[in-house]
Amino acid sequence: MRAADLVAFSWNVLRGYGARTLLILLAMGIGVAAVVAVSAIGEGARLYVVNQFGALGTNLVIVLPGRSETAGAMPGVLVGKTPRDITLDDALALKRSHAIRRIAPLIVGAGDVHSGTRHRETPVLGSTAEFKDIRGMELAQGRFLPEGDPRHSTPVCVIGTTVAAELFGAGAGETRALGEWLRVGDRRFRVIGVLAKQGESLGFNTDEIVIVPVAAAQALFNTSALFRILAEAKSRDQIPAAKSDIEEIMRERHEGERDVTVITQDAVLATFDRILTALTLAVGGIAAISLAVAGILVMNVMLISVTQRRAEIGLLKALGATGGMIRLAFFTEAVMLALGGAALGLAAGKLGEVLIGQVYPAIPFSAPLWALAAAPAVAIATSILFSVAPARQAARLDPVRALSKR
Amino acid sequence: MIALAGIGRVFRVGGEEVHALRDVNLQIAAGEFLSIMGPSGSGKSTLLNVIGLLDRPDAGRYLLDGRDVTALPDDELARVRREKLGFVFQFFHLVPRLSAAENIELPMVLAGIDPAERRARLDRLLGEYGLRERAHHRPSELSGGQCQRVAIARALSMGPAVLLADEPTGNLDRHTGQDVMAVLERVHAGGGTLILVTHDPEIGARAQRRLRMVDGAIAGDDKA
Repeated sequence: MRAADLVAFSWNVLRGYGARTLLILLAMGIGVAAVVAVSAIGEGARLYVVNQFGALGTNLVIVLPGRSETAGAMPGVLVGKTPRDITLDDALALKRSHAIRRIAPLIVGAGDVHSGTRHRETPVLGSTAEFKDIRGMELAQGRFLPEGDPRHSTPVCVIGTTVAAELFGAGAGETRALGEWLRVGDRRFRVIGVLAKQGESLGFNTDEIVIVPVAAAQALFNTSALFRILAEAKSRDQIPAAKSDIEEIMRERHEGERDVTVITQDAVLATFDRILTALTLAVGGIAAISLAVAGILVMNVMLISVTQRRAEIGLLKALGATGGMIRLAFFTEAVMLALGGAALGLAAGKLGEVLIGQVYPAIPFSAPLWALAAAPAVAIATSILFSVAPARQAARLDPVRALSKR
Repeated sequence: MIALAGIGRVFRVGGEEVHALRDVNLQIAAGEFLSIMGPSGSGKSTLLNVIGLLDRPDAGRYLLDGRDVTALPDDELARVRREKLGFVFQFFHLVPRLSAAENIELPMVLAGIDPAERRARLDRLLGEYGLRERAHHRPSELSGGQCQRVAIARALSMGPAVLLADEPTGNLDRHTGQDVMAVLERVHAGGGTLILVTHDPEIGARAQRRLRMVDGAIAGDDKA
């Protein structure tokens, strides 16, 4: 039998039993669409998280005090002693590394911020001019903290848009904040810049912060210890070198003790990436169960079809069809159904993806390639697998008995 | 052309053995017109199925064109059926979703014959059996006589050496039955070998050689 004739014959069968064909297409389509849509949601969540980390800044290496020996434990708690503080001098010493482009020391505290009669409590960050580039911040008005020796305190500050609006009058756009004085605790700072609206970035809402020079923050919070040092490697490839340089320099400065933890953004990102990819695979797998169900439906319908078409199968045998030809005809039918269902499902899944994307535009929903390939492949494989039994049954039919039934 | 020697066929029905055929010896020459008659259950249909390679005998030897086909594997049997045998059934057995033309074409499709060659043969058969106007109609839109003509054209599409007909007129009224018999006799007149099972004596009498079967054995073999 020629391949083209085989396809034409099966096409004729599928058209001849239209309702049956539509039902199977629907079941297959729903299965494939479910896999595509669900994996698109999972992949969207993964990309969303990855992008959020990307917003932190590129090639970021974070240094924090204390050494975590066990994953998940609070640094310093397990060893039972307070780790040595990281100082501003430690931070400046990191500039010796050739792998590091820039560093920014960071102190974080909460402060009462006053302007005239208005006041609110906000997170106060102490840092240097380079903080802006490391975190990829934009300014709406004015300029960022001035360059210069970070050990010297200048009474200037940069504020978030929400802070500006609340303390210096309505309207997030043009405020009268620039050049005004702001009181933080018992110190006064002149506002030299307002940050552009950026929103949430991993727990910190940059619209609601006040940034002051690091030396000012040290005086304000009466501490010499840094909360973090943010370092930016010169390139992605330089991140491991930057990490080992930092560990080396810190050990030298801390009398041979390794009492800081160095986190690379890549490591954190990779962990999230792994978790979310696994999650996507898992929900995709659950959706694939519906494909198996569709496969069983195919088997069921095929078995009924063998019974319905007994006389036809007997006739085909009498006309000289071998058992192999009959089997092949049933397989062709199953594959055509699966292909049709897969095409329908891919279209429906893509449509669903676009629709969810309309509802949640912030999340980049898109089905990963593996899902687009695996869903139809699984659909075709299951329908072939589940048509083995009906096809065998048809091929084994005894022509005399098949024909004697009226 | 057909040589049966000591053919036996036993069915088991509810634990009992039923001898549908016992020790059948039969020689059929090419170009013969043979009718097989006998009461129901006399084994005439079983004999036709054995000759048509649809059923395997439990005993004996069957030579078709000098070749022993008794123990051929199933796929080989299918090939012999395709190339040498044509079947006509009492209930036509047309595929209901295929048109008359597609039904006639079916054996050629199964045999993998080139579409151009198929069209040429189809056109000749449609003309020969007066089906040209009905070519694109489904079996449900055809009369009984037309259906049987389609079935005969289908059986002849591969140019078989032997045409086997099982009660070809059994499901038709008298007049239409006569028409179908005329068509079959024309096939025989053209040099074909025709084996016909019937229980209508009038139809059976039209054959030159008449076989009578009783209880699975040949009880009479009249040659005109």
